[in-house]
Amino acid sequence: MASLFSTSLTTIFATTSGMAISTSLVAYLVLFVFIGSAFVLANLLIGRLLRPRKPHPEKAEIYECGESTIGSSYIQFDIRFYVIALLFIIFDVEVVFFFPWAILIGKAIFLRNSAYAIDESSSESLKPLQPTLAEMGLSPASQSISLEENSLLEIAEGANLLAWVGALDMLLFVSILLVGFAYLWKRGDLDWIRSYQPGNKSIHELLSQNDSREP
Amino acid sequence: MGQFFNNLLQDINAFLWGLAGYSSQEITTLAEDSWIGYLLAAIIQAALLLHVLAAGTVLFTWAERKVCGRIQDRLGPTRVGGKFGWLQSIADGIKLLCKEDLIPDEADSLLFRIAPYLSISASFAALIVLPFSDGWVAQQLNIGAFFILAIMGLEVFGVILAGYASGSKWSLYGAMREAAQVISYEIPLAMCVVVPVLLVGSMNLGTIANYQAGWFTNWLIFHDPFAFATFWIYFTCGIASVNRAPFDLAEAESELVAGFHTEYSGMRWSLLFMAEYGSMFTVSGLGVLLFLGAWYGPLPIFNSWTSGTESWYLAQMANLVGCLNFVLKSSLLVIVMIWVRWTLPRLRIDQVMTMCLKYCVPLSLIGLSGVLLWQLLAIPSLNDLAPARSDLTEHWAEKSSSPFVKDSQEKVDLFDGRNTQ
Repeated sequence: MASLFSTSLTTIFATTSGMAISTSLVAYLVLFVFIGSAFVLANLLIGRLLRPRKPHPEKAEIYECGESTIGSSYIQFDIRFYVIALLFIIFDVEVVFFFPWAILIGKAIFLRNSAYAIDESSSESLKPLQPTLAEMGLSPASQSISLEENSLLEIAEGANLLAWVGALDMLLFVSILLVGFAYLWKRGDLDWIRSYQPGNKSIHELLSQNDSREP
Repeated sequence: MGQFFNNLLQDINAFLWGLAGYSSQEITTLAEDSWIGYLLAAIIQAALLLHVLAAGTVLFTWAERKVCGRIQDRLGPTRVGGKFGWLQSIADGIKLLCKEDLIPDEADSLLFRIAPYLSISASFAALIVLPFSDGWVAQQLNIGAFFILAIMGLEVFGVILAGYASGSKWSLYGAMREAAQVISYEIPLAMCVVVPVLLVGSMNLGTIANYQAGWFTNWLIFHDPFAFATFWIYFTCGIASVNRAPFDLAEAESELVAGFHTEYSGMRWSLLFMAEYGSMFTVSGLGVLLFLGAWYGPLPIFNSWTSGTESWYLAQMANLVGCLNFVLKSSLLVIVMIWVRWTLPRLRIDQVMTMCLKYCVPLSLIGLSGVLLWQLLAIPSLNDLAPARSDLTEHWAEKSSSPFVKDSQEKVDLFDGRNTQ
């Protein structure tokens, strides 16, 4: 029984499969959450042995600076918080797309720079580039290209093109979002204090109008 | 059952031998296949990292009081534990442990109790991928930078839950403000993290750190003016995302009594704070890893010490110095956070939101595109002035190849390749 358990866990932690690292990451997360919770629990339990316990109705009241509370605290809160949440969703999705893109651009630029820097006359000139090429899925093992047929200059130019095209793609993607962002800004949705009048003027504009009307 | 204990003993033995650096082929293969060895290693790592929260809080609260005292022209604590009052935080801890634990009648008792668990767990789990030195990391992930941002973002759930469950209006307002603020500042924070990822071409925090080996000119903050500016935007957003003054609206004592923790007392309250101090260290540590040269000192002294030798022990000594470097730099950033807290007045909620949406987001976008253009146009940077980076990196990485570290690096490489193909 124990050995069966041991074997199954061994297969989970086996280092050769691609799943292993994500599985062990989940295992780590579970373990850390468990140990963190155990830490909290231990502290509270030790405190329980030490601390006094003298309940009193006034101690169990909500603290509002000595006043008795009026009504429930589960109140409606401002719609502005939802606008913030909506803005967050739009931008956060955008930022998530930045990360894989940044890795590829970074690798392409590294490839370009090092390909330009390498002395072409040496026999093993492509060797320093192999790891980066492999990371980008361009190693000879993946049969997409054969390195021997490509000169260093071609690799460098290809990487350069990839980097520029990637940058322009991202520019297009971001600018579409930025149009929306500019619209929201103009409309006043980014202002925390604003009027809900149909004209959607910001409070600062309204205040300045009032100021100008005063004698 | 006897067989099980026999296996267990073998595993422990193999693990301990592995820790001691004896890497015979037999021991290595045994350790690779033994889940108990991995579990023990993970538990030891977790126990060590727990000190960032536990001991870190003790030290940083003491530092906070001393710095605050000096800034306000006072002495700060001077009595407990000698001249500098350095046992003050421990005395406070004992006091908090002995305080009565109150839960209001109107509070949602279950959620009220769960909140500290959530905060601490999130703050603690972010440390899984935070490397303290070359290979000194619980789990070397190829998406480390992304993972740490994601897990740190979870801490806000504890705060929202604490505020919501308290049954107090102060707490609810505090929690809502915190939620709005933290999710808004995640955006510029993440955009600033993209900059080093773009410069190095990897999200693996170890790779980003090793890229900055050597002289201090290799640090990514000195790559170009845009990267320099990006670090300060990162740091500002970091302060906001861990809810520190001048962005501590969730616990604004002049308006909301104590915000989300108004109803908390004793140990439960201090656990919420432990999570906050832990996150402060994590944000500072991430900043150091991404921009400030990670565990490499300003001068490559220890690289020359270890180059040319094959001693695993010497490499671990260098790693220990690197670890101290990292902790020192991160603690300095935490001290800067404390300094900022006691210098600047608290912002209003509208100023906080304006600061984020109208300044930090556009500025971080400008920083990102500036760095991108700098790279595309191959403009020379300060990083290129330093002695060859790759030589130094390779030496440092070679030396620290204990059986366990080597194994984890191989795993990462495998996964890296699979992912991109």
